Amino acid sequence: MKKKIVSVLLTTVLLASCLSGCGGDSASADNTSAGTSESQASAGTEEKVGAQITVDKSATDNVKVEGDFSGADLTVFIYAQDHEKTVYQTLIDKFMETTGANVTFEVTTADEYGQKILAYKAANDMPDIIYVGPDTVAANVDDGYILPLDEYVSEETIADLWPAITTAYRYDGKEAGKGPIYCLPKDLSTFAFAYNKTLFDEAGVDYPDPENPYTWEEFLEVCGKLTIDKDGDGEIDQWGCANALQWALDAFIYTNGGHFLNDDYTQVVIDGQQEFIDAFQYFADLTCKHGVTPTVEQDTALGGYQRWLDGQVAFYACGTWDVGAFMDENTFPYEWGLCAWPTGSTGVSMTRNGSVGFAVSADTQYPEAAAALITLFSTDLEGQRVLSGETTGASLQIPNTMSYAKGDFKDRIADGTIPYGDNVDVIFNYIEGTDKYEGIFVETTYTYNADWWNEFLSGGYEYVLTGEKTAAEYCAEVQPAMQAALDNANDMKAAASGQ
Amino acid sequence: MEGKKGNKQKCKLSAMAKREERWGLLFVAAPAAGFLIFMLYPIIFAILTSLTTWNGAKGFQGMMDRFCGFDNYVKLFADKKFWQTLVTTTIYLLGIPIGMILGLLCAMGMNRKIPGVRVLRTMYYVPVISSLVSVSILWAWVYNYDYGLLNTIIKTLTGMHGPNWLGDEALIKVSMIIFMVWKGLGTSIILYLAGLQNIPRSYYEAAMVDGATGWQKFKNITLPLLSPVTFYILVTTLIGGFQVFVEVQVMTPSGNGGIGYSAATIVFYLYQKAFESFQLGYASAIAVILAIIIFIITLINFIGQNKWVKTMD
Repeated sequence: MKKKIVSVLLTTVLLASCLSGCGGDSASADNTSAGTSESQASAGTEEKVGAQITVDKSATDNVKVEGDFSGADLTVFIYAQDHEKTVYQTLIDKFMETTGANVTFEVTTADEYGQKILAYKAANDMPDIIYVGPDTVAANVDDGYILPLDEYVSEETIADLWPAITTAYRYDGKEAGKGPIYCLPKDLSTFAFAYNKTLFDEAGVDYPDPENPYTWEEFLEVCGKLTIDKDGDGEIDQWGCANALQWALDAFIYTNGGHFLNDDYTQVVIDGQQEFIDAFQYFADLTCKHGVTPTVEQDTALGGYQRWLDGQVAFYACGTWDVGAFMDENTFPYEWGLCAWPTGSTGVSMTRNGSVGFAVSADTQYPEAAAALITLFSTDLEGQRVLSGETTGASLQIPNTMSYAKGDFKDRIADGTIPYGDNVDVIFNYIEGTDKYEGIFVETTYTYNADWWNEFLSGGYEYVLTGEKTAAEYCAEVQPAMQAALDNANDMKAAASGQ
Repeated sequence: MEGKKGNKQKCKLSAMAKREERWGLLFVAAPAAGFLIFMLYPIIFAILTSLTTWNGAKGFQGMMDRFCGFDNYVKLFADKKFWQTLVTTTIYLLGIPIGMILGLLCAMGMNRKIPGVRVLRTMYYVPVISSLVSVSILWAWVYNYDYGLLNTIIKTLTGMHGPNWLGDEALIKVSMIIFMVWKGLGTSIILYLAGLQNIPRSYYEAAMVDGATGWQKFKNITLPLLSPVTFYILVTTLIGGFQVFVEVQVMTPSGNGGIGYSAATIVFYLYQKAFESFQLGYASAIAVILAIIIFIITLINFIGQNKWVKTMD
């Protein structure tokens, strides 16, 4: 009998441990959501938003397609959300109907795209049209995978694209930013800063002025006023801001004149570089010294993105792809506006731009047809109207064509057709650049791979945010591993380009 | 003469025998082809790849153009992250004996006629058949610093905030081991249960007649006769233990391998090198070393089994 009781007790205890796995999903948030959406800056990966947007196929009825490509057989392989897929499928249908070409459209997820493209490359069986980001243009050109487009796309079309985009997709065999253009953009995104107007009103703090970005000191002061124990239980439950280091650190480093690499991207130069160290330390002090962001522990429990959506933080990053979500009352029931990232010693507010582009395979038998199709994807006005929110009411990107972006698009925001946060000019300022704003492609864009940056991220930077290490100590510690990874990347580039 | 006659007889039967032989070969051909295509070819390909700096470009020719000899192996042995992930992987293996002991205890408990034992057996097996990704997400929530079940219990019982299970270099390893033990427990229980039910009752009856205590029966009958099962579990879990990947990818914040790469396993590192950095040559070198390690450990297990694995024969 005794043994039976012990047996029952033993199994019950272990059963309890088994069942515990079924009870954890009490909160509604996923702390990786910000990372997912941000890491695919150019892809507009808000699943919640994607699921809510419906695209009326008749919206592209007026698409104009010219040319006769009878007999051409193209394969398009990209990653896309459902609404994007619908837009592109509609454009493809129109293209096939008008030109006589046959198009096979294959779509995957952003997560799986890299692996699948790798498989295509290894099998020497590249689709005719693929996605290529600015950071992989050089590698793809060196390996002979993609075609220069200047010969197939009109100068007029290229001239109407944002200069930031065309620069990102040029490569002359040695340097990025020069030479022929290899992609037409799927989008151009920028990582602006946003503030929750409701929280500002409640705290009685003036809204930020987009014309006069905060200095770091001013930003800290404002964040202090917005960091509040709202329910008086002795614990902070509203913070001035929340920053995910992998996406937000750039905005602090570059505005302070700092940089990770030397001018020719061969040396990691963070150890002892005062501009970099000061910026990183300021970034960390916001958390560990001033407490105006959630702590590292709190951040692992619930990421900044979800805290922003829950109205727990006053400032948060806002990518152009986020606008649709932030304007959806069910997702974000607050008033909000765009503002500048705070400025360091340069006095210029800086942030990262992002993009992904349509490229044509160098092996395609139908370069003209492929180029015509990507021109349609990238610049067709009706398609741009859908993706930028004019016909859907949810903006996931700014238009690729400047004529539409600066004209109708802005007008539709002004008259409320396209729901948008206040101060849309902040986005344009980062994209076009002004004396107070500058959007840039980060340094990983210009190196063969991002391993050196991954070394920075996996070296334990969290200890700087917790205050257990100083920024200077961390930079000294992690630089050798970053340098080794960069050397390796440069060796790979040399092997690929035969330099 | 007789021999010749015998040969002739064999030839006479050859019509039928040949047909059977053909069928036989056909049946053998399927697994043989499977082995050649899905095992031998990839192994040889991986070994070849490990001798190159191939990034996946330009097919086989592209690979051979980037032949680098043993450079990848030289770099690998000087690579801190390789050693760090190898040590972490080895630490995770501590969960294997824990899981085996718990599995045996549970199996012994469930080998008795207690109410609801079939339901219990089924419930313990649920984690095994559940999607690894799903249960990893679930456990990431169990370990959540603010909202997790564990810390909620700790706070309720002690009034203090629990630790940051997935945000501390040491605790994240403990958390992973607990999760892996939980996930694998069902398999050990089922195998031990089958083993226990295979032991003839007459052995225990004879021991009772001899006046053996419960502990003596366990030590001298149960444990030795379960040793083949223990051996099987040990070998399979060791091989699986060296290949942990999904848990790290799903449970570490942003899939970054944990703070300071503290939760990353060797396969996680291999994956990052292959599919994020596109260093297929280097990743293949890691795979080859991993295969050698697994092979040696399995070999040691098989050589050592004579000393402790007993059968009823």
